[in-house]
Amino acid sequence: MGKLAISNNIRKLRFYHNEMTQKELADKVGVTRQTIVAIENAKYSPSLELAFRIAFVFDSPLEEVFSYEPKDDPI
Amino acid sequence: MSFQEKNITVTLISFSLILIFYTTRVFQMAADGGLNSTDLFRLWGIVIVLSIIVTIIGMILTHIVSAIVIAIQTGDENPDIEDIKDERDELIDLKGTKITYTVTSLGSFFAMFTFVLGQSPLVMFALLVFFGLMAQVIGDVTRLVIYRRGF
Repeated sequence: MGKLAISNNIRKLRFYHNEMTQKELADKVGVTRQTIVAIENAKYSPSLELAFRIAFVFDSPLEEVFSYEPKDDPI
Repeated sequence: MSFQEKNITVTLISFSLILIFYTTRVFQMAADGGLNSTDLFRLWGIVIVLSIIVTIIGMILTHIVSAIVIAIQTGDENPDIEDIKDERDELIDLKGTKITYTVTSLGSFFAMFTFVLGQSPLVMFALLVFFGLMAQVIGDVTRLVIYRRGF
C-alpha cells in the first residue's frame, strides 16, 4: 500500500528534542515503538487522540507535527 | 518483528498444523470406510482442546523466548517486553477478525449447501470445523500482511 496523504515531522521534532528515541516517544504517548515507526514512515494514520498526545510531547501545535495533502483534486 | 507479530506467527503455525492434522485425519477416516459420527465428534473434541492448549502454550512460549532474546541482546536481567496492545494493534486485530468471520460465514454456507445437495450430515459437520480452522489461519495471515505492509 502506498504512502498516506497525511505526512509528519516527527523524525525532525525528535531530533530537536535532544534526539529523543522512538522508544522514548512511544513510552510517553503509550504506544509501541512499532506504531511510532509506522507513523513516521507514513504507513499508519494515528487517531486524533494519539496525534494530540504526540503534539503535546513536542509542545507543538498539531499542524506543526502533522500535515495533510489531498492526493486527488476534489474540483 | 514486534511482540504481537511473533504472537500471531506462533498462532498461525499452531493452527496450520492443527488444520493439517484435522484434514489428514478426516481423509483417513473417509478412506477407511466412511465417516462415522463417533470418530468425527471425537476428532472435533481433540481439535478444540488442542486449539485451546496450543494457543495458551504458544502465548507463554512467545513471552519466554522474547524475554530470553531481549535479555541476550541487551544484557538486562529483567528485560522489558513490549507486549502492550495499542490502537494500531487493535485496528489490525479487528481487520483480521473481520476476515476470519467472513471466511467462517462463507464456509458455513458452503457446508450447509452440501447438506442441501444430499450429502451426509457428517460431511457438513466435518466442513464446519475445517472452515473454522481455515478462517483462523487466513485471519492470522491477513494480520501479518497488514503489520508488514502498513495501512
